[in-house]
Amino acid sequence: MDFLAEAFRRAWGLLIAGDSEVFGIAALTLKVAIVATAISCVAGLPLGYFLATRRFWGRRAALTMVNTALAFPTVVVGLLLYGILSRRGPLGGLGWLYTWEAIVAGDVLLALPIAAALSAAAVQGVDARVRRTAETLGAGPWRTAWTVAREARFALAAVITAAFGQVVAEIGAAMILGGNIRGSTRTLTTAVALYTSQGDFGMAVALGLVLIILALVINIALQVLQGRGGSHA
Amino acid sequence: MLELRGVRHRYEKRLVLDLEQFTVPRGAVVAVVGHNGAGKSTLLRLLALLEAPTEGQVLLNGVAVPRRASATLRRRVTLVEQRPVLFRGTVLENLVYGLQLRGISRAAVHGIIGDVVDRLGLQPLLDRRRAELSDGEVQRVAVARALALRTDVLLLDEPASSADSAAAGALYRALAAERAARPVTVCIASHQLEDAYRWADDIRALADGRLSPVTPENLFRVDLPPGDGVKSVRIGGGVEIAVMTERTGAAVLAVPPTDIFVSREPLASSARNVFKGRVRGMAIDRHGAGVQVRADMGGDAGVELVASVTAEAARDLALAPGISVVFSFKATAVQVF
Repeated sequence: MDFLAEAFRRAWGLLIAGDSEVFGIAALTLKVAIVATAISCVAGLPLGYFLATRRFWGRRAALTMVNTALAFPTVVVGLLLYGILSRRGPLGGLGWLYTWEAIVAGDVLLALPIAAALSAAAVQGVDARVRRTAETLGAGPWRTAWTVAREARFALAAVITAAFGQVVAEIGAAMILGGNIRGSTRTLTTAVALYTSQGDFGMAVALGLVLIILALVINIALQVLQGRGGSHA
Repeated sequence: MLELRGVRHRYEKRLVLDLEQFTVPRGAVVAVVGHNGAGKSTLLRLLALLEAPTEGQVLLNGVAVPRRASATLRRRVTLVEQRPVLFRGTVLENLVYGLQLRGISRAAVHGIIGDVVDRLGLQPLLDRRRAELSDGEVQRVAVARALALRTDVLLLDEPASSADSAAAGALYRALAAERAARPVTVCIASHQLEDAYRWADDIRALADGRLSPVTPENLFRVDLPPGDGVKSVRIGGGVEIAVMTERTGAAVLAVPPTDIFVSREPLASSARNVFKGRVRGMAIDRHGAGVQVRADMGGDAGVELVASVTAEAARDLALAPGISVVFSFKATAVQVF
């Protein structure tokens, strides 16, 4: 147990001292998480709305596919994208492999199904009369979607939280696609894995704490936003 | 003005509407009556261009509407659903929703809203949110929200179902004022025949998704036994009707109110259907010439029949609620569809 206490003491020291490496890794993690969450939600929320509201041939199959994608192992997604982004792959010309953009691409692939499947469920939970009422009052497709989204705002906020949670805690794709390069593609999760394997528990715990604090702050911020909306039903 | 042609509409392969033709003429008030599940709400959703019929066409001013109607087309028709919903926000925000979509200026919106608010007595509710309103108030706000849009066609699904009699009166008076102000076409779904007689120019009846070929009253869903000639069919409670038909199986029986003789004592006649009952209500039609007499024909389920008599006959028979009456009609008067 002593080594754990020592690790926490070391972690606290690093955080108080404002260790540049710790904060550099945290900043990169935050950047990757925000960009990937934004992209996956911008694409996934409309996709979820479409799947929930439109009747078309193959809709059930599309929903099954999205739901199945929720359970994709992160390392498999990383491996797949590695093949695509590697020099001989179809997108090798982009030169993204071992860059933060590659990590974002992997995270988007993992968070997009979450955003689509959960937002489809959220929209399906909204009374069908809301959409019909918006339409009969003259709303076009975008305004109707916005009206429905306003009614499902709590559930949609939870979707964004879930997508962020997936992205910020993911390690498999980040390790394979980013390569865990110091000062370049080292994220909190890959760094924790590295320092743990090197026996530097203090550094690993410090980074783990930062990761938890980061997730906590983002969740509190989203809950505050939801609370504000909730007071005006 | 608004027309359904050769429409068959299905939900999950179940036929819910089967209409060869249904027209709502320009400037008319058409009431659609029928039991719960008769297809009234589905019919209004098709007329509102919110759903495309599985088969057939919807025509607006003689032009076929595409399967996915554009917002521009939909803005000519508005539907108030039976249990309407209000969006998040205040009553005022709900009232301006459709007007803002149409790009109407703030000053004009103010004038329009003020007008409908006065007509429907909504002033005290403007700052309230949906959770602070009763069902009747939500219904009034929804009607006001639709009236404010001044669409060519207004579709109302049981608009007074949650309103008390005063609120229902205010609602129908607001509709009458709207009709006096501009040529608006109205289609109202209702299960209250009295309202239909009082406010509508034309009354249509739906039963099992089909239009009754005769009248909206006295419709009974039955299961006809096999065989020809006169059949005795139970219509509910302990009441049985004699009907002349060759049909068997599920069908709807219609007894035209004008084919029912009303008397105070049983008549010596060839009528196979003679029912003693008590007058439950009377409604004078819009022109004041005819009286609809609704009477309870006994039976455990309280089966009611409606007969149509002239105002003069109603006076001669001294008909009034609570009076005992006898309704008689021939087996051949009963129509089967």
